[in-house]
Amino acid sequence: MNRLALMLSLALAAFSVPALADERADALGLLAVPQFVEQAASAGITQSYTGGWEFFVGGGGSSFDCNGDGMSDVALAGGTSAAALYVNTSKVGGELAFEPADLGLEERLARNVLGIYALDIDADEHDDLVLLRLGENIVLRGLGECRFERAERAWHIDGGTSWSTAFAANWEPGKRFPTLAFGNYVDRTAPGAPWGTCADNFLMRPRGDGDTPDYSDISTLSPGHCSLSMLFTDWNRSGERGLRITNDRQYYRGGEEQLWRVETGRAPRLYRRGDGWEHLTIWGMGIAEADLNSDGLPEYALTSMGDTKLQSLDNPADPSVPQYTDTAFERGATAQQPYMGPDKLPSTGWHAEFADFNNDGREDLFIAKGNVEGMQDFASFDPDNLLLQGVDGKFVESGDMAGIGQETSGRGAIVDDFNRDGLLDLLVINRKANVSLFRNMGRQTEWGHRPLGNWVEISLEDQDGNTHGVGARLLVKTGTVSMNRTVHVGGGHASGQSGAVHVGLGLLDRGIVRVQWPDGSWSHDYRFLANQHIIIRRDAKDVIYRQFIE
Amino acid sequence: MYRYKWAFALALVPSVALAGPVTFIERAPADPAAISVAVDQGQLQGTLPQADLTDLIEAGRSLFATRFTGADGAGRPRATQAIIPTHFKHAREMSFQRASGPDANSCTSCHLDPMAGGAGDFTTNVFTSEGTESADFDNVDPQFSNERGTNHLFGSGLIELLAREMTVDLQDLRTEAVRQARETSAPVTMTLESKGINFGTLTAAPDGQLDMAGVSGVDIDLKVRPFSQKGVFPSLRMFTLNALNAHHGMEADERFGAAMTGEADFDGDGFVGEFSPGLVSALVAYQASLQAPLQTPFENPAWQSAAMEGEMAFTATGCATCHVPSLPLRSLSFADPGPLDTAGTLSASDVAAPAIYDLGLLEWAQKLPRNADGDVLVPLFGDLKRHVIADNKNPHFANELMGQSFVARDAFMTSELWGVADTAPFGHRGDLMTLDEVILAHGGDAVQSRDAYAALPQTERDNLITFLKTLRMPQ
Repeated sequence: MNRLALMLSLALAAFSVPALADERADALGLLAVPQFVEQAASAGITQSYTGGWEFFVGGGGSSFDCNGDGMSDVALAGGTSAAALYVNTSKVGGELAFEPADLGLEERLARNVLGIYALDIDADEHDDLVLLRLGENIVLRGLGECRFERAERAWHIDGGTSWSTAFAANWEPGKRFPTLAFGNYVDRTAPGAPWGTCADNFLMRPRGDGDTPDYSDISTLSPGHCSLSMLFTDWNRSGERGLRITNDRQYYRGGEEQLWRVETGRAPRLYRRGDGWEHLTIWGMGIAEADLNSDGLPEYALTSMGDTKLQSLDNPADPSVPQYTDTAFERGATAQQPYMGPDKLPSTGWHAEFADFNNDGREDLFIAKGNVEGMQDFASFDPDNLLLQGVDGKFVESGDMAGIGQETSGRGAIVDDFNRDGLLDLLVINRKANVSLFRNMGRQTEWGHRPLGNWVEISLEDQDGNTHGVGARLLVKTGTVSMNRTVHVGGGHASGQSGAVHVGLGLLDRGIVRVQWPDGSWSHDYRFLANQHIIIRRDAKDVIYRQFIE
Repeated sequence: MYRYKWAFALALVPSVALAGPVTFIERAPADPAAISVAVDQGQLQGTLPQADLTDLIEAGRSLFATRFTGADGAGRPRATQAIIPTHFKHAREMSFQRASGPDANSCTSCHLDPMAGGAGDFTTNVFTSEGTESADFDNVDPQFSNERGTNHLFGSGLIELLAREMTVDLQDLRTEAVRQARETSAPVTMTLESKGINFGTLTAAPDGQLDMAGVSGVDIDLKVRPFSQKGVFPSLRMFTLNALNAHHGMEADERFGAAMTGEADFDGDGFVGEFSPGLVSALVAYQASLQAPLQTPFENPAWQSAAMEGEMAFTATGCATCHVPSLPLRSLSFADPGPLDTAGTLSASDVAAPAIYDLGLLEWAQKLPRNADGDVLVPLFGDLKRHVIADNKNPHFANELMGQSFVARDAFMTSELWGVADTAPFGHRGDLMTLDEVILAHGGDAVQSRDAYAALPQTERDNLITFLKTLRMPQ
């Protein structure tokens, strides 16, 4: 951007700030803004994502329950610092608290971790951990009681030597174990690296029908374009989940965003121009999925440097063509520059996630932000976004009012209810600074905090593998409104969450939920009362309630 | 506020401002607005002094009798009767609609027998529905709505206090079951009993999972919801908000305001802020303060003797199993907002400190009997529990086609019998003219008692009816 253009844009931004502030204030007046209080240090978490160029990207973590107490524990990448495991000891409804625990890895292997995803790979009802590394990826088999052992050899997983930055998993029809997708970044060893030398990505499909997974069948997803996020997604309501990959244009040549067709028993194939796939080049950092209008077709938020994309299928009446329209501008979700502070240069977005932070029944959008590292054309003070969705479907920035606008450089993030009070909390992994652990206090008042809307937290229990129902769709009915949620492993920025699905219910005090299990079959209607933790076990007649006590 | 009309009204009318939370407004005869009180919710914190409580109750009495008009914000052209704010697809034209509402000008248009706050005849029946699908129905066909009679509200403050204490008891038992299960690493089965009322059992696993299959008569969250015929609303406050919207189109800010709905004028009647939290508190205080009906002996010695015989028969036939003569209440402190409401109704968590209406300040409450522990014995003749009340041989009470709030069609909360002598007709639809008819209509869980009554010689049946005729409304 040349100097004149920069000065003009700054002048324009300065001129327009007062009007935007009034409109935003008016819009926020109609919304319940959740108040977050940062408490990583007091909660006992000390973890910073450090390192040089190879760790400008990555910086993720995952929440999961490693000891069966129903509380979400966290595993956090550290870059050149060791990855860490923290067991959740928070009091129900109280202050957040964690205690460090041992991942069971020698320090050499605990370093160089860029991202972590949790999922139950071997169907033993204990979450396992996939550690994305600079070098050999590591898969830790969960043994219960927060103990782990390495599983690459037992499961025939080739950890490779790549710079791995993305991951997604999907249970294909009839399979007990998941298909694993690994996304890789720059091939540092290729001539001319890093520019134009993106590594290939890999798909590992479970072989045979044994009692333990066998991932010796590896497909190459080529060409790779320096992926930073991947997500298996049923983009067209076909019941089949394609693999969406967002790629970083910083280093590719001739690259673009990608959507792979992953059909059972067939080699993966790219959607190309002839299939309707349109060329899109962004500095793709993170993918978030939500069905914002409950038509069964997901929308996608794609973070980038500059504006965020919010893609909606062009022609919902004919969902066979993967053509998308960017609706971020009309929805107010571009988040292209910092919303507070003096810096008006373009933002850099990383993790993105849709979640209902104020329990009003509408999914909001969180985006972690932070300068890559010393990039002078982009904002240095770049606070994380909390875009609250209004009744009209438009998003309103509330990060400053909500208290998450910190002077940190965010990367991955974990959205979870850490103290089981029905309010979604937020953990942001920061580059060269401690994580930010934001406890959601509810709506701030002059005397303290008051509750937000009603909620329900739903855990799924499937049978025959895929114990958490990854790929399942939940359809929650509240009055005249239906809400879709999908359980997935992948997306975000090197970060994930395994466990209960949180649904904000607004004013509803009871509702109906249906589950479309990963194999496509629909459950009957389940009734539930609001403000409860429930378990839906496949083929069970009623939901099971779970009580958390101190 | 509807700025133009309020400015005009205020210009015409002097108001009498008091130091407390309540302001009474004297309106000029030509003033189209009818609400004549204002209440500052911000001043309603902590135990109210007697003077403020008296004013608040009086404000509630006034509101209860107010014939709301369009100038107050009555009417809901764009909103249905649903508890969750729900829009019609197209704005309605009619101000009143007998079936789906708005169907009343004031609360007392139905709650008037034998006085304000009382019950109503069949003519005052209402038609309850979820209010989302087919919200705008214009007939009494049971496929669209459940037809319900108008209950009296006397003693309702004590009812809510009992429900709160029972909820705490039941939820504490649940917590204890989970705690014991965790400590012993084995499932624990707990009997759920409060104030002598058994709500079945639950089994807690060490990880907190609950087997609730054995729970009966109460919702799965163990919240005792004592209001409405089916026992599905936890508080007077919630019921008041529901009724204000459904029957009058008066949309309370705490549920329909911009903070909850994102729209300043949800019902599209041109009014913003048509019913403040303070006004709701006044209505709650009034209803909670309504005197508990008491057993009133006959002056005629023969009738009184018969009534005493009948009271024994009432117990011997098993009627008192559900129509429990009294339940002990530990405290008369009525917190408003209360602890059991959730988003959409102001709750104790939504305010710095709730107001406390000390019902013990009321003369009638001071005369209530107490047990040896000092608990007030609330003479409700009920158990705040739901029961299946119909069967194939006795199907009258299973007339409805629609369940309500997940409660089955043939299940209702035990009707409190206090005041029954003066609040005919009977049954949830108000379609049974005599006490004898309504007793004989019992089925399901009550069939043994019903059959025992039916088997009594006529004289003893008459004695039992005579006993019920001593359960009078306050005179």
